Amino acid sequence: MANLKDLKTRINSVKSTQKITSAMKMVAAAKLRRAQEAAEAGRPYSIRMQQVISGLAANASKTNSPELLVGRKEVKKHLLIVISADKGLCGGFNGTIARQARSEIKRLEDEGKSVLVFMVGKKAADNLGREISKRTFDRVENVQGSNVNYNEVQSIAEKILTSFEQSQFDQVSMIYNQFVNAITQNVVVTPLIPAHVEDDVEKDTINYDYEPEENELLQSLLPRNLTTQIFSALLESSAAELAARMTAMDNATRNAGDMIDSLTLVYNRTRQANITKELIEIISGAEAL
Amino acid sequence: MTDGIKIELVTPSEMLFNEYADMVIIPGSEGFFGVLPRHAATLANLQRGKIDIYNNGSITRRFFIDGGVADVLPERVIILAERAVDLDEISIQKLEAEAVNATSTETSFVNAVKEAI
Repeated sequence: MANLKDLKTRINSVKSTQKITSAMKMVAAAKLRRAQEAAEAGRPYSIRMQQVISGLAANASKTNSPELLVGRKEVKKHLLIVISADKGLCGGFNGTIARQARSEIKRLEDEGKSVLVFMVGKKAADNLGREISKRTFDRVENVQGSNVNYNEVQSIAEKILTSFEQSQFDQVSMIYNQFVNAITQNVVVTPLIPAHVEDDVEKDTINYDYEPEENELLQSLLPRNLTTQIFSALLESSAAELAARMTAMDNATRNAGDMIDSLTLVYNRTRQANITKELIEIISGAEAL
Repeated sequence: MTDGIKIELVTPSEMLFNEYADMVIIPGSEGFFGVLPRHAATLANLQRGKIDIYNNGSITRRFFIDGGVADVLPERVIILAERAVDLDEISIQKLEAEAVNATSTETSFVNAVKEAI
């Protein structure tokens, strides 16, 4: 039977764990509000950009359009950008990303392409571990949360673009967690090169004037679009991470509470049993006299 | 104000302006151009420069952008800019604080903004 002192220590340690998890929950909730605002503020830009690109793509001639828009004819190598968190303790957040990345890699390799992986964030890289060590294209950390910075994303996008031009890969897509609300995150896979184009554009009907020429415009817009997509994915992923952490820590706090309750029950029962035992001993001792 | 043109100025981190106005002057890569309601649909590359928003014949808001793209339709204009500042709100001190750990492109943008104020 557990003795009282052990139980007491146990209860205290669970209590301090609970304090930590509930503090983490508070912090995540406070940060989440800001991150959510940032993610939502970033949406109009990426949505508009998407519309502009789709409109241009619908009107562009298929023959001499830039490769960034229509893609290469022969696709041998694929670059997969995986965006995960830098920190753990956020429930299934990093696990889902890693699982999704793994199946995506498998799918692409089954199609006969070789896959390179660009890891953003520390955790999925840890999770995928050796599987990706040979396939790693690059890794960046510390670009999320309050560190999301357009200039930094721009340099990432530039690096991807130069490598694309040097034919290190022919296709690029990105996996990240999209923030839906505080309890839901969606894992999405978006193609980046060739650019994702919405089909349902009615812009064919509008006759646009282009300034400068259509192709020139596309040349300058497509790299910008790449940056924008990555930037907004980072914002979304940061918000999603905090939301996931908040939910996970909320659960952990509640579980710790349950555990404290049941431990306290055992503690009290043990204490009661001890008292009863002592009483019996005293009484029987008195009777023996 | 339904007789105006709807103007949206968006950057990756925020929506700076989203209102109706009489006219807007935009720094196109091939020269400044004014947009009035019922302007022909245009997609234009923008260069670094000032955006003036006019109401009742005078400038009511001024912004400064570091290049971007404008999507003009007869009833609305969307201006996408990577960097943009509101010239009436920004102070030189704030700009200088930003310039401290800025890259070279940012510094040149900050300097251009200073001139525009």
